[in-house]
Amino acid sequence: MTEFPYLKDQDAVEVQRGPEPGGVGGAYRAFGETLRGLKTTMARLIEGPLTIQYPEEKTPVYPRFRGRHKLHKFEDTGLEKCVGCSLCAAACPADCIRVVAAENIPGDRVSAGERYAAVYEINLSRCIFCGYCEIACPFDAITMGHDYEMADYDRDDLIFTKEMLLAEPIERTPLRAEGE
Amino acid sequence: MSGKEITLIVDGREVAATEGEMLHDAAKRGDVEIPVFCYEPKLGEPVGACRMCLVEIEGIPKLQTSCSTPVRDGMVVHTRTDQVKHAQSAVVEFLLVNHPLDCPVCDKGGECPLQDITMGWGPGKTRFTDDKRHFQKPIELSPLVAIDRERCLHCYRFVRFSQEVAEDEQLQLLERGDRTFVGTFDDRPYVAPFHGNITDLCPVGALTNYTYRFRARPWDVEQAGSVCTLCPSQCNVSFTVRDEQVKRVVARDNPDVDDGWLCDRGRYGFEMFAAEERVTEPRLKGAAGGADWQAAIEKAAAGLKAAGVGKVAAIVGDASNEEGYLVQRIMREALDSENVAAGRAYGILRHDLVDISQPALSARVRDIDAADAILVIGTDPLHDSPILDLRIRKAVRRNGTKLAVATERPTTLDGGADAAVRYIPNATGAFLDDLVKSLSGSGDGESHFGADASQIADVLRDAEKVVVVWGENVAWGDGRGLLALAEALNIAEHDGAGMLEVPELANARGLREVGCMPEAGPGLSQRLGGMGVAGIRDGLQSGEIESLILFGVDPIRDFPNTARWKSALAAADHVVCFSMFENKTTALADVVFPLESHAEKDGTITHPDGRLQRVRPSASRPGDIRPNWGILAELSLALGFDTGISSQPSAFAALAGEVPFYAGITDGDIGGRGIRWQEGPAAAAFPTRPEPSGDPVELVFENEPGETTYTEARSYDLDVSTYRDLWVGPITELNPPLRFLSPRQTLELSPGDAERLKLEGGDEVTVSQNGSTIRARVAVRERMRDGTGFLIEGTASDNANALPDLAGTIAAKIAKVGE
Ligand code: SF4
Ligand code: SF4
Ligand code: SF4
Ligand code: SF4
Ligand code: FES
Repeated sequence: MTEFPYLKDQDAVEVQRGPEPGGVGGAYRAFGETLRGLKTTMARLIEGPLTIQYPEEKTPVYPRFRGRHKLHKFEDTGLEKCVGCSLCAAACPADCIRVVAAENIPGDRVSAGERYAAVYEINLSRCIFCGYCEIACPFDAITMGHDYEMADYDRDDLIFTKEMLLAEPIERTPLRAEGE
Repeated sequence: MSGKEITLIVDGREVAATEGEMLHDAAKRGDVEIPVFCYEPKLGEPVGACRMCLVEIEGIPKLQTSCSTPVRDGMVVHTRTDQVKHAQSAVVEFLLVNHPLDCPVCDKGGECPLQDITMGWGPGKTRFTDDKRHFQKPIELSPLVAIDRERCLHCYRFVRFSQEVAEDEQLQLLERGDRTFVGTFDDRPYVAPFHGNITDLCPVGALTNYTYRFRARPWDVEQAGSVCTLCPSQCNVSFTVRDEQVKRVVARDNPDVDDGWLCDRGRYGFEMFAAEERVTEPRLKGAAGGADWQAAIEKAAAGLKAAGVGKVAAIVGDASNEEGYLVQRIMREALDSENVAAGRAYGILRHDLVDISQPALSARVRDIDAADAILVIGTDPLHDSPILDLRIRKAVRRNGTKLAVATERPTTLDGGADAAVRYIPNATGAFLDDLVKSLSGSGDGESHFGADASQIADVLRDAEKVVVVWGENVAWGDGRGLLALAEALNIAEHDGAGMLEVPELANARGLREVGCMPEAGPGLSQRLGGMGVAGIRDGLQSGEIESLILFGVDPIRDFPNTARWKSALAAADHVVCFSMFENKTTALADVVFPLESHAEKDGTITHPDGRLQRVRPSASRPGDIRPNWGILAELSLALGFDTGISSQPSAFAALAGEVPFYAGITDGDIGGRGIRWQEGPAAAAFPTRPEPSGDPVELVFENEPGETTYTEARSYDLDVSTYRDLWVGPITELNPPLRFLSPRQTLELSPGDAERLKLEGGDEVTVSQNGSTIRARVAVRERMRDGTGFLIEGTASDNANALPDLAGTIAAKIAKVGE
């Protein structure tokens, strides 16, 4: 081993090398691995094409898949579950949620609590779909949906407003069946 | 406090402490954190109400509250034993028994001590399964503060504030035991000038501001430290800024300035920054809409240039040091005129100012705390510099400082004063004379001008450390009385004694020191020949002044004799007005430039005690508002004079270069807390007192408050004087949350006068003088002098300034409306 004055003994690692080129070992190195790879290729060839014809056809996602967010309302009263507490905004690592709260006026309630979110915006072009907002929400007001089709022509259109998040999304994504 | 140095052991660490100090504070210095709810040294003696701060002290079998246990030498304290931890988690569990835990909707969420302590010291779960206590929520404690009784911990903090700091005694915990709830007598609204402080004090979300209700969370905002410039107290504030707009103002503790309190003006005044009446772009007379900046500056410059030599003038009001400095430079250097003044009508003469401002005579705000006696003369701190009111109360309550009050009008401090006297308006000079005589024992013991100076002298005589808090008007035109008083009290000799001015303008001291005086340039250097405010007005009417700059003043509202001001401004050839809001004055101006608010401004100001403080830009400027120093520098350039100023720092450097006693003070020295120039590197450069030269000069000041003869036989009903109310002006009118406080014109009378004039409180009267009449409502007040009534200056309607000025008092006819 070469002496490196700055290396301590235990720092040096010896490299394991393969056989020298030439001879049987060389031939194996040239073709053996290639054949192994070809085996996989041939096997798939017999299976036939698996291409999914997106967008006519879509890959089903797992139920836990984290797609575009949804805001929820109470089914019985129709009031928004979100109270505009901004906890989701605090949890968001991408800092892409903006909440501006306001006070409910008796007689014209928006949410069940004292306050509601007057502005609720998620900038989906920044979102990393980590789902922290869903975990942070004390009222299960925001959840991650399954939709992943969010591409758009304009960045501004990727800022989803409260109305967009509250609206029942067109379910475009098939779910994987149990155990699939 | 004995001040003896001792050591104790907290969690195995040796901690140095002063005898008599509370254990919690000593532990904190040793980096041991003990959770507290009710402990707040600003509120005075600890009460030990919440039991959160329990610790184990060796030798004492039971746990002790560290917030109210004074340290002893050799004490051994444990804050982390099982017993303490058990107690802490039990206290948290107990406090949460009735707490609704509605953090998501609570405004305190994210900055709540209860949340932090529950996470840090709480058990994490509760065994309580019964129903919690319920109250209606939220309810209005006042139009500005919401109270949620369910959240209250019964820590007594706000009760102590109300009883021991503000001393309004309105707040109480009612009922006992588990029924305790916060409230006021008979559920009356808690309306008091400092009540916003309780929202800072409450350790939970029980008391929250309506103005900040649901506006933001701590992680949505930035805190921007600056200084409030709404009055001479210059409290240190922190603006809570969201989306570049001020959403809240909170105190930024600075014991040298404000002691950590704010008045409601400073706390809730911020919504006027966004008022519709705000001037947000330059405007030219006759042109609809805003003007181009370049055009406006050229027009302003052309108008100023067109005036004859020396026929221009400037009046400065609400301005930073840099702005004042630039205005006076434009006047003196670009336009060759000495007519630059700050203020409303009268002023203090240069040589008096030099005498009174000598560092040996000047008091620090902090000196009030430790004074033996305080004399308040010619000012009601509550209206003129609110935070001083709290400061003086603190000294009286905690240190037993003696307090003497000598004013024209009753003050809120009278109640706690050892002596309170009323003198006749305008008779300050004579009263001071009496007082000085009484102090030296040569008084005749009689009360002249209705006030018995010997009562005041008795309070002050034996005190060494006397702080004199004097209203600017005391020295108007002639400061010799004040100086004689300082001499009689031996102020220069005693450490901790001093004089503290309460001026009319928030930055009066700074403006004077940077040269906004007709007879003094930067650094109070002697200049000659300028006109004062009243002179400028007369000059405008007579044609001696043709062109005028108004910077942050509204003469048609705030100056005495508004009618004369109106015709003076109408007679002017050219008026350039810098104003924050549209008002009657801007309506007459040829060019209007927008002013920045104190949340937008970048500059320095000088506290009445000499402390240079920095106002920092915190919020964005609405519309097309530009930095004021920049406009002034450009205006100067358009006038053909290059000031060489290209930024706020260069403006400050230029002015520090010209004010010798500011020299060497850098932005770093000012920092977040300010620095008194008296303690700066160049304090010795303050001009020395001129030697008295032979005969005393006869000082005749224009409109000098003259003495009126008081005779019984008179053709009028009452002498009426005026005062400036805390709540007058745009602060309430253009600011929705405070609008309810906007004062109506009120005629204050003594009970004797009310009887003589057959009036009762609540009556509507007209007050007329020389053909001008205003309406007012009568209020009968105790402790007023017979023969003098008071009206409010600057109200939106029935402004007392509309009565022709008779230098202070107005001999008025009073008639009941409808008779
Ligand atoms: S999924 Fe993550 S990144 Fe996206 S909004 Fe929620 S918290 Fe923010
Ligand atoms: S979605 Fe949930 S966490 Fe976000 S503001 Fe609304 S209630 Fe709070
Ligand atoms: S309202 Fe706040 S400050 Fe007052 S007792 Fe309750 S918790 Fe303390
Ligand atoms: S006392 Fe004066 S400086 Fe302090 S907050 Fe009130 S207005 Fe502002
Ligand atoms: S902090 Fe000590 S008892 Fe409340």
